[in-house]
Amino acid sequence: MTAQQIALIGNPNTGKTCLFNALTGSYQYVGNWSGVTVEKKVGYLRNQQGTLIDLPGIYSVNPISADEAVVTDFLIQEDCASFVNIVDASQLKRNLHVTIQLLERGKNLIVGLNMIDVAKKRGAVIDSARLQETLGVPVVPIIARTEQGIDQLNQQLKKSKSTTNDVLSLYYGTIIERAIQEMEEELAPLPIKVSKRWIALQFLDGNQHVEKLLDSEENFDVFENIREKAEQKLKKEQRVASLTQHIHDTRESYIEKLVQNSVVVNTSRTNNWTEKIDSIVTNKFLGIPIFLLLMYVMFMLTFDWLGFPLSDLLDAFIAGPITFVLENTLELIGASTFIQSLILDGIVAGVGGVLVFVPQIFVLFFCLSLLEDSGYMARVTIVMDRLMQTIGLNGKSFIPLIIGFGCNVPGVMAARSIEQPKDRLVTMMMTPFMSCSARLPVYALFAGAFFASNQALVVLSLYVLGIVVALILAKFLSSTTFKEQKSLFIMELPPYRLPQWRTLWRATWEKGKGFIRKAGTYIFGGSVLIWFLSYAGPSGLAVEMDESYLAMIGGVIAPIFEPLGFGTWQASAALLTGVLAKEIVVSTMSIIYFVPEMELQSFLSDQFTPLIAYGFMAFILLYIPCLATVAAVRKETHSRKWTFLSIVYGFVSAYVLVFVIYQVGKLLGY
Amino acid sequence: MLLSELSNNDIARVTDFSKVHIVIQKRLRQLGIKQDCEVCLIRKLPFGGPCMLESSGQCISLRLDEARLIEVQKK
Ligand SMILES: Nc1nc2c(ncn2[C@@H]2O[C@H](COP(=O)(O)OP(=O)(O)OP(=O)(O)O)[C@@H](O)[C@H]2O)c(=O)[nH]1
Repeated sequence: MTAQQIALIGNPNTGKTCLFNALTGSYQYVGNWSGVTVEKKVGYLRNQQGTLIDLPGIYSVNPISADEAVVTDFLIQEDCASFVNIVDASQLKRNLHVTIQLLERGKNLIVGLNMIDVAKKRGAVIDSARLQETLGVPVVPIIARTEQGIDQLNQQLKKSKSTTNDVLSLYYGTIIERAIQEMEEELAPLPIKVSKRWIALQFLDGNQHVEKLLDSEENFDVFENIREKAEQKLKKEQRVASLTQHIHDTRESYIEKLVQNSVVVNTSRTNNWTEKIDSIVTNKFLGIPIFLLLMYVMFMLTFDWLGFPLSDLLDAFIAGPITFVLENTLELIGASTFIQSLILDGIVAGVGGVLVFVPQIFVLFFCLSLLEDSGYMARVTIVMDRLMQTIGLNGKSFIPLIIGFGCNVPGVMAARSIEQPKDRLVTMMMTPFMSCSARLPVYALFAGAFFASNQALVVLSLYVLGIVVALILAKFLSSTTFKEQKSLFIMELPPYRLPQWRTLWRATWEKGKGFIRKAGTYIFGGSVLIWFLSYAGPSGLAVEMDESYLAMIGGVIAPIFEPLGFGTWQASAALLTGVLAKEIVVSTMSIIYFVPEMELQSFLSDQFTPLIAYGFMAFILLYIPCLATVAAVRKETHSRKWTFLSIVYGFVSAYVLVFVIYQVGKLLGY
Repeated sequence: MLLSELSNNDIARVTDFSKVHIVIQKRLRQLGIKQDCEVCLIRKLPFGGPCMLESSGQCISLRLDEARLIEVQKK
């Protein structure tokens, strides 16, 4: 039995991921702006055999940005898949352009007419039976958000056949039809899996990914010739600006007729609600202050008002009852000192030291999810565009940066939806400087120990520091390497949507889960390793800490950090392990000073001065992106050079900045 | 008249947008902007920031630089 493979495809922000979650019962990232899904995601269909693939949103099969290109490549290469085309009923005309292009490729398609609730509110009633009749494929009205109509869609999916040679053939006029025919003849011997007419048409439309496909063929010149000729002829005889324009217009007029026949519009009212909120959050005077205020509230909730007290409670619980019970159990079963030390000084100290921050991290992720699902994210881009323009970028870069506060890895990925390659690259270079949730434990530990009275303020200054360094780097890059390239900006602003509790909770949990998983896997592993390195030394086991392997390793690189004020082997060892994941710094510190987190703070005050502690935090923030981020940058830039540079930029800026902080601070007598 | 010269809540008909950057032009077309379609300028952001447009029920934001290259006819 062959497993069925079905792909979801459609315009951005039309609810594809929502539907994906409903059909598979799994969870993927949903957000209210265009470009949330940036890569192919695979899930298993509920109740039946087969896989479902969630693709990024596209405005056209002819791609502009990197996330759209993922879809084009998918369409060129995969021939077995059948498709569900999600169409936003409230923006029917625009969405149907993708539908037409898919139908031209093959009629193995089901149209999911989504957001009929929104369309209804706007006064549009869509006759889906009529639409189905004209298009010749099933059309199922659904509301993905409330899972309405999902059953009917499932029924259709079961019935659908993945192989059909039927395609929609729009008539594009004699000139283009002629060119298509010529192309088809040339294409005939090639091993192309999909409809040749479709390939020809996409080529004539200037689809660069289809061009790439044909590029290696020896008759590529012939193809180009056909296109050139057709364009000239069109320009001369029909006075159209370009082939692309003509193809677009032909589709447009077909759609126009289609919509006229199947949609009844009673009143056309725009969303008042959205209007009102927008007039405040994008207001001349209030726009930026409101954004800053929201960021501040999010930050304070995490560190001061809500997250911090919760983390404190958890810490007391781990350091108190849990440790007590473990200690007694180990005594009782007569565990050797080696095992006792491993569990209490290694695992409880290392993993527990990080786990206490789970509440804070959940509060942060909850705030981020709220921002993402509401539709405010798209507004941030326009409010910040002017500022970003001065550093040679555009407002869209702000989305990856904000996501980066949660975790840098999805932040780097989110840059895919930025159209200009240069803007995208610079954004990816900036993202690692955003204070992600993994840095948060480090800040909380040190700020709690040294700046107890104005903890939040100190941590806030670090967040700002990260942003400022990132902005300077961007300015530097766009006024040197990328001087010639202009940044561009265009953004679709979706209507606001009241976030649903279920979505919010799931989004928060999915993001937070990653943190807990990390604690269970490589922070656990790292802790055991670090503990062992601190427990063993050249002279045997259970050595004095200063004689351990860890001390030796740390000691080798310690001199490098002497000018920064923390040239001890302990700090160096922590920094070294922190490259794996920044939370490990806290684990390492807990293990090195083998005291529970609560006492660690007072212990630290003997080792560091406030000035050095601040420098240390700043260094952790900037120095080297964690391993996962480096891997993401490598994957997204496809460039060793830029991956290497992102590490260098981090290290150099960290070193220089902390050097200045420390030396100036010392001069000022701190 | 140019799109950038409209004031808030003015409604106009697009007459020519072939001068804007090709990438933006493509996106505009994909978002349903075309010759002769109606747009409403909702507002402009301060310090020469982007402007917000409404066209057939959807809201689009565009830089003023680009809006200066779009010819419209005020209604
Ligand atoms: N009112 C309403 N909202 C919906 C419906 N379906 C989805 N949404 C909302 O639309 C927004 C976008 O949903 P997503 O599933 O992230 O859209 P997407 O198509 O995957 O978006 P991209 O990843 O950007 O391509 C979310 O805020 C959803 O809650 C619906 O039927 N009705």
